[in-house]
Amino acid sequence: MILSKEKLGALVEQVKISGALFAAPAVDGGQVVMKSVNVADEISFDYVITANSAKEYLFPQTETIAVVEIEKNKVKLSAVEPDAPETVLFGVRPCDAAAFASLRSVFTWDFIDESYTKREDKSIVLSVACTKGDEGCFCTSVGLKPDTTDGSDLQLKETTDGGSFVVEALTDKGKEFVKKFSDVFDDGSADTKAIFTPDEIPGGVDIEKIKERLADPAHYADPVWPELARKCFGCGACTFSCPTCHCFDITDEGDVFSTERKKNWDACQIDNFTLHASGHNPRDTQTKRWRNRFMCKFHIYPKKFTTKGCVGCGRCVRVCPVRLDITEVMAEFSK
Amino acid sequence: MSDLYIPKLVRIEDVVEEAPDVKSFRLVFQDEELRDSFKFETGQFGLYSAFGYGESTFCIASSPTQKGFIQCTFRASGRVTNALSALSIGDTMGFRGPYGNSFPVEEWKGKNMVFIAGGIGLPPVRSVIRYALDRREDFGDITIVYGSKSVADLVYKNELAHWDERADINCIQTVDPGGETEDWKGKVGFVPTVLEEAAPSADNTIAIICGPPIMIKFCLSALDKLGFNDEQVYTTLENKMKCGVGKCGRCNVGDIYVCKEGPVYSAAEVKKMYDDF
Repeated sequence: MILSKEKLGALVEQVKISGALFAAPAVDGGQVVMKSVNVADEISFDYVITANSAKEYLFPQTETIAVVEIEKNKVKLSAVEPDAPETVLFGVRPCDAAAFASLRSVFTWDFIDESYTKREDKSIVLSVACTKGDEGCFCTSVGLKPDTTDGSDLQLKETTDGGSFVVEALTDKGKEFVKKFSDVFDDGSADTKAIFTPDEIPGGVDIEKIKERLADPAHYADPVWPELARKCFGCGACTFSCPTCHCFDITDEGDVFSTERKKNWDACQIDNFTLHASGHNPRDTQTKRWRNRFMCKFHIYPKKFTTKGCVGCGRCVRVCPVRLDITEVMAEFSK
Repeated sequence: MSDLYIPKLVRIEDVVEEAPDVKSFRLVFQDEELRDSFKFETGQFGLYSAFGYGESTFCIASSPTQKGFIQCTFRASGRVTNALSALSIGDTMGFRGPYGNSFPVEEWKGKNMVFIAGGIGLPPVRSVIRYALDRREDFGDITIVYGSKSVADLVYKNELAHWDERADINCIQTVDPGGETEDWKGKVGFVPTVLEEAAPSADNTIAIICGPPIMIKFCLSALDKLGFNDEQVYTTLENKMKCGVGKCGRCNVGDIYVCKEGPVYSAAEVKKMYDDF
């Protein structure tokens, strides 16, 4: 099946008419980001990976979960239903698509966070396999591929002439989407561009070895940790750009008469993240906080949630202001 | 449920000023049906809302044997707890819970109990103490070792006086050196030292510890000297939490989510954990 780039305009239009949101890579502030678009002309194809991941469409940076009105002793508390529009996520990179299973595993173990599941259920993921990459990409080192289909409902591969995509419907949701918007999809097939393959991480990475080393609590005392994490100053950019980071805070924003209870992204790299009221802080140094992030990605996620904590998108490497490179730590712990 | 993080409204029925900056609230659900149906176990915790300010996590300090209300005790030390502290009788606040595991009190029938607490660490232990006193015949000897920085900082002063009077409880109170007053009748010394001097028998005994991490550490070695093994000793890890349901990512000790698998652990379990306290 073929989706011609010329017909993308019709697809965006029809999706918008159906009432759904159409999010796609588009230029904003000089970089390509996942954003809601109204016309196909806004869509950019010139990107390795969007600056933000598609995570925020399922797990928004901020969301109101309740509204509270307070008048003397009368408190009126109203829960706010999650805003979960039908959403088409177009042009998602396969690594970002694979991250949705990780987020779901956290938001559904035992207690179910319906804000997440409702949005995921109402979204459809059209990933585009990678034909280019950069030095930040390392999906193949975490067991994924630039054309992995995990988490995608439809996967698109750019044709050699660059004018179309070869489309593969992978799920029932994907097949229904094709049926619903059948006039933009054409039968047929074509040659596709070569898939980009990231370079191997220098020194080599052995995920099983990393897991094995992290499973032993003794590694906390390893003198390599302060060395590895020394540069980190705790800005949290790695966590905010990460497609699998799930931490959040619950805060009230407003005043004592009217307030919104919000669920906002938070970051384990911030110094007061685990600070107790007593002043005691279990993760009181940046080394401990950085170690926790690595533990979360390569031990907690795989062990506790049986999903991937890292999909190798490389955003944390690209955005880090001190060039702290997670792949160097992966290589160190593969020894 | 989409109301996963939505608190229930509770009315403050009573306020007790326990110590400087420390208050206890007696809370009753606005929803009458919930007053009867609400159930919890000793050691479980909740998230308490001061609307306009946010939520804080503390244990439920009352015992499941006390029906119709719950009690919490907290120190005003941050944005939310200061806002809670400013509330008074009749005011409305929020509660969600109970969350987490609990002390296996049913398994402890017929055992002697040693309760060890420091400062604001008494509230979670107090839930079990109340439970044991309400079912006194189910337990053997009861020893309470409680200490704080100063006499003023002791919480539950009324209850301490009552426990002191009872012949069927060995209640030992202590304050840190320099924290005593002229008429102080209790001990002067740190909790681990006082515990070692009291030397409760380890035979058929369960010990519960809650307090500052440093106190817990030294009490564990004191209990070890007294012959307690790690399966006889329990503690509750009161880590910072925002969700209470295993999502927000901050209470973990290595791969253990304290809000889900805890907060109650045996010393044997604690010793196997990652050094993340």
